[in-house]
Amino acid sequence: MFCEKAIELVRELQRLRDGQLPAFNEETLRQVLQEMEHLYEQNQNDVNEAKSEGRADLIPSIKLRHCSLLRNQRCLTAYLYDRLMRIRALRWEYGSVLPANVRFHMCAEELQWFSQYKKSLATFMRSLGGDGLDITQDVKPPKSLYIQVRCVKDHGEFEMDDGTVILLKKNSQHFLPRWKCEQLIRQGILEHVAS
Amino acid sequence: MDPSEVEFLAEKEMVKIIPNFSLDKIYLIGGDLGPFNPGLPVDVPVWLALNLKQRQKCRVIPPEWMDVEKLEEMRELERKEEAFTPVPSPYYMELTKLLLNHASDNIPKADEIRTLVKDIWDTRIAKLRLSADSFISQQEAHAKLDNLTLMEINTIRAFFLDSLNCMYKLRSNLQPGSATGQFTDF
Amino acid sequence: MDSQSYFPVPPGVGMEENFFSLDDILLSQERLPTRTECAFPRLGFLEKSADSQDIPEGTKMELPLWLSKGLYEKKRRVLSVELPKVYREGWRTVFNADPTVVDLHKMGPYYYGLGSQMLHFDNPENPEIAQTLLQTFIGRFRRTMDSSQNAYNEDTSALVERLDCLEKELFKSGQSGLNGFQSWEKGRTSQLTASTLVLNYRKRKIADVQP
Repeated sequence: MFCEKAIELVRELQRLRDGQLPAFNEETLRQVLQEMEHLYEQNQNDVNEAKSEGRADLIPSIKLRHCSLLRNQRCLTAYLYDRLMRIRALRWEYGSVLPANVRFHMCAEELQWFSQYKKSLATFMRSLGGDGLDITQDVKPPKSLYIQVRCVKDHGEFEMDDGTVILLKKNSQHFLPRWKCEQLIRQGILEHVAS
Repeated sequence: MDPSEVEFLAEKEMVKIIPNFSLDKIYLIGGDLGPFNPGLPVDVPVWLALNLKQRQKCRVIPPEWMDVEKLEEMRELERKEEAFTPVPSPYYMELTKLLLNHASDNIPKADEIRTLVKDIWDTRIAKLRLSADSFISQQEAHAKLDNLTLMEINTIRAFFLDSLNCMYKLRSNLQPGSATGQFTDF
Repeated sequence: MDSQSYFPVPPGVGMEENFFSLDDILLSQERLPTRTECAFPRLGFLEKSADSQDIPEGTKMELPLWLSKGLYEKKRRVLSVELPKVYREGWRTVFNADPTVVDLHKMGPYYYGLGSQMLHFDNPENPEIAQTLLQTFIGRFRRTMDSSQNAYNEDTSALVERLDCLEKELFKSGQSGLNGFQSWEKGRTSQLTASTLVLNYRKRKIADVQP
């Protein structure tokens, strides 16, 4: 049947329900586009023949191919759109810099889209209040300004606002401003030690 | 809503404390606080009360309803009545947890209170489910949520709204004629 | 828990599908028993049992829902669509007697979704089908609710095993309400945690490295 390749793309995303981004499947995408081209050409021929030779019996087949064309289109756009939703989520989960293994799964256009989304978000956040507001911080109501954290893995040096530098070494514990470490906790580098 | 957000709202409720320090009135966007005088009771929001308590700057006076006898009465009434009875505070569950966790030494019979409030909560949640079920099975169109608190509604909100969406979908199937017209889905 | 910032496109709420919804796309991939009411010239290769160039009239084929919907016309018969067994009278009697005993996962797994879509095809039994779908949902609602609101910190696979896709989603949202409340009660909500998405990525990375 037609459109088997297109549904593969959809299934690929559906298997990763937690929002992970699988590698951009350029090969399958290309095959779907090829099938669409083929369907279009076939229909073009049949339509011409139906018109010039009055072959109305070709119409059911033309319709079937046409449905398949639209189905392929729907699967492809849904695939691309859902990927964008996942890419948008990455900005909130990882911050503005993505690890290489995640970037690796995006195509050039997606990387471009991500950096534009990043810019829009930054522009919006700068426009808030007097001198901007980071809306990716304090997603849950904060209980205290400082929190106790433990390093899950080595992260190197970390500069505080007052210029002091602390070393984030595995298993070391620190008492830090909450807003400074919220992102590192989300990235799994620090661990919030419950008081 | 996340329960931590509901708790955040509860922290705006007022509670009486007896400070052991003195400080002039402070003027904040959310309202004026104080003045604070040692030994003189004053009303403050829960977030401030707990902060002061943690730094041993005050004693918290539990709200009137946080009392074993009163809560026992409420529990009996809640079990007897079919409908939801009025609660002593729209944030009774949150306040109980916050105050008992941070100021239990200022609250007499803290453990009994904890159990009683939990009993009341459980009875109310059971009622909530019962009424949700009859709401669905009788295909009602609207419901009154009198006397329900935010935290109670919050535990069932996502589930209930999704169920209503399903109901809508299945009920719109019954309308003849809704299936006419050319399909646009492929 | 799922990622908190990835929001997939939800399935359509009414009779219509949601164009971008992956769930709806997979639902419309379900296969239906159909019979061609006219010939489809030059498409014989789609039907493996026939070796002719065309699909002849009267061929019985299994077609996906999206194609059946696309080809189906009330005025001009191109295709007739048979009702899958679960929606026929025999099974309807079973559902009406006691909807809770049926394994909707096995029968479906898109029992409600596909059933609703079947109403697009002109069938004299449509009113009864719609009525059975609704009553089945209502009849099973209490069980879905109770199991999703009571099962805390336990393996839920046995509970969801016999649920239809739509009920499974309901079960999940019930669980998220319960888990949210329970972790609040235990004082865990104020603790900041690592992103589940990030952790899952890391798990996968390790799995990729290991042969």
